[in-house]
Amino acid sequence: MPLWIILGMMQPILYLLLYMPLLKNIGGTSVLPVGQIVQIFVPGMLVIMGVSCLFAGFSFIPEIRTGFITRLLVAPISRYSLLLGYILEQCCSLLLQAIVLLVISLLLGLKAGVLGVALSLILIILIGTTMTALSYVISITTRNEDGLASMVNTLYLPIMLLSGIMLPISLAPDWLKTAAHFNPFYYAVEAARALFAGNFSEAIVWQGFLVMIAAAAFAVYLAAKSLRKMSA
Amino acid sequence: MSAKDTPILITKNLQKTFFMKKGKDDVRAVKGVSLEVQKGQIFGFLGPNGAGKTTTLQMLTTVLAPTSGQATVVGFDLLKDPKKIRQHIGYVSQAGGADGMTDALQNLILQARLYGASKSEAEKRAKELIEQFEISEFATRKVISYSGGQRRRLDLALGVAHKPQLIFLDEPTTGLDPQSRAHFWDEIRKIRDDGVTIFLTTHYLDEADNLCDYLAIIDNGTVVAEGTPKHLKDQIGGESIVIGIENSKDLEKGKELLVKEKFVNKIYTNENKLYVYVKEGEKLLADVLRLMDNKKVSFQTIGLSKPSLDDVFLQKTGRSLREGGES
Repeated sequence: MPLWIILGMMQPILYLLLYMPLLKNIGGTSVLPVGQIVQIFVPGMLVIMGVSCLFAGFSFIPEIRTGFITRLLVAPISRYSLLLGYILEQCCSLLLQAIVLLVISLLLGLKAGVLGVALSLILIILIGTTMTALSYVISITTRNEDGLASMVNTLYLPIMLLSGIMLPISLAPDWLKTAAHFNPFYYAVEAARALFAGNFSEAIVWQGFLVMIAAAAFAVYLAAKSLRKMSA
Repeated sequence: MSAKDTPILITKNLQKTFFMKKGKDDVRAVKGVSLEVQKGQIFGFLGPNGAGKTTTLQMLTTVLAPTSGQATVVGFDLLKDPKKIRQHIGYVSQAGGADGMTDALQNLILQARLYGASKSEAEKRAKELIEQFEISEFATRKVISYSGGQRRRLDLALGVAHKPQLIFLDEPTTGLDPQSRAHFWDEIRKIRDDGVTIFLTTHYLDEADNLCDYLAIIDNGTVVAEGTPKHLKDQIGGESIVIGIENSKDLEKGKELLVKEKFVNKIYTNENKLYVYVKEGEKLLADVLRLMDNKKVSFQTIGLSKPSLDDVFLQKTGRSLREGGES
């Protein structure tokens, strides 16, 4: 498990170390003011970590295969507690990874308020919940790692490109901006950036929370439904 | 002991259809199963692979919702009270269900905890089970390192950890060597003798015959026969003379020849074999040989066998479980 946590952190850390420096040299616009680059980039990396919970199914599929999940389904516990238990496990390691990332970011010059960061972490947990639940839905449906891998690959890139994680969407042409508004994670990224900047009253903050709460609830509902129809 | 009269499990026309996407046929896995299982017996659900055994079991253990029909399990309605049923039943699936990455002790503790035991109660129960099922030798080793027999012992221990009234075992001895199998049968009998009712599925004829107190034979989603193994075999009427004839013309000729004889109760052909059911086969074997020889029907093997459950299956379905059931 510790190895898994470390591997999960590698991608965002590499982005911080090997990609973020590029932004410094193209910065200076109103969208990317020179002093704000770390504050703008780190929230996106936190969202990436949450989205990476799409990989959760890779440890769930073997547990379906060994009949362990069926054993839990026959026990007198609700489908929701079963699911939330698994999600909690994922979110704990997600939180741990996020804290390590934040510590590294502080060393790289991050300046953000404690409240804003704490609220962002709640947002990230909601993303983690959504993605873990979705990953379980895919796992239960496909029942094999290859199917899950291709689904994850298909979802991952558009989610990332359409949420302005690498560069703010405000740089995009209008059609791309419109497309981004259909991506729930765009709201999460923008909300986290506003929170890091201490702009708690911006509309995007409550919009981000609303969208992610709805997404998490819907994903958990779908996962419970798949469990109910699952024949082992 | 008046409670003994009410069956612990009753199903009425239980059905399960898996609905497929457009363009594909829906799969009617269970087409209407009505059963009664009495308390304290080992109930066997015998049938070939794909007959609908596992699907039925998954419905009765509340994992899958039935498409239609009714069932009462341990006194509760399957559709209305699945939670109460779960409290009182155990289920060992074909895959087992132990967490391979941890040891038997942790698996057993978790199982007891899932059913509401406190931490200390769970630890105590786990130790009892480790003793009862002779697991102590490997109790603190990771489950993935276990042999088939060791693993099955743990699976069974997990199934009874919360002292269920009724335990479902899906193909419990598939893949076990003969010695482990015999040991496993003894364990199951012990559990029955402790007052637990056992519902097991199998495609092994000897398991159904030797271990089970009562049987339902399932094929293609429906129950084709039921009764005690002895009762089912007695229905066959006498012994069977099995004649192996490779040439299909000779096979037909042999059948036509023997079907006319008065001493023949029933006659079937299946996969190059002619099954002739007779009373007092020892005396008639010579007559059959003489008849075949006179009419120049050539054959390769001939044998006399006591009625088996395979004969029952053959009579009810026209196929042999022995040849068709393995995969």
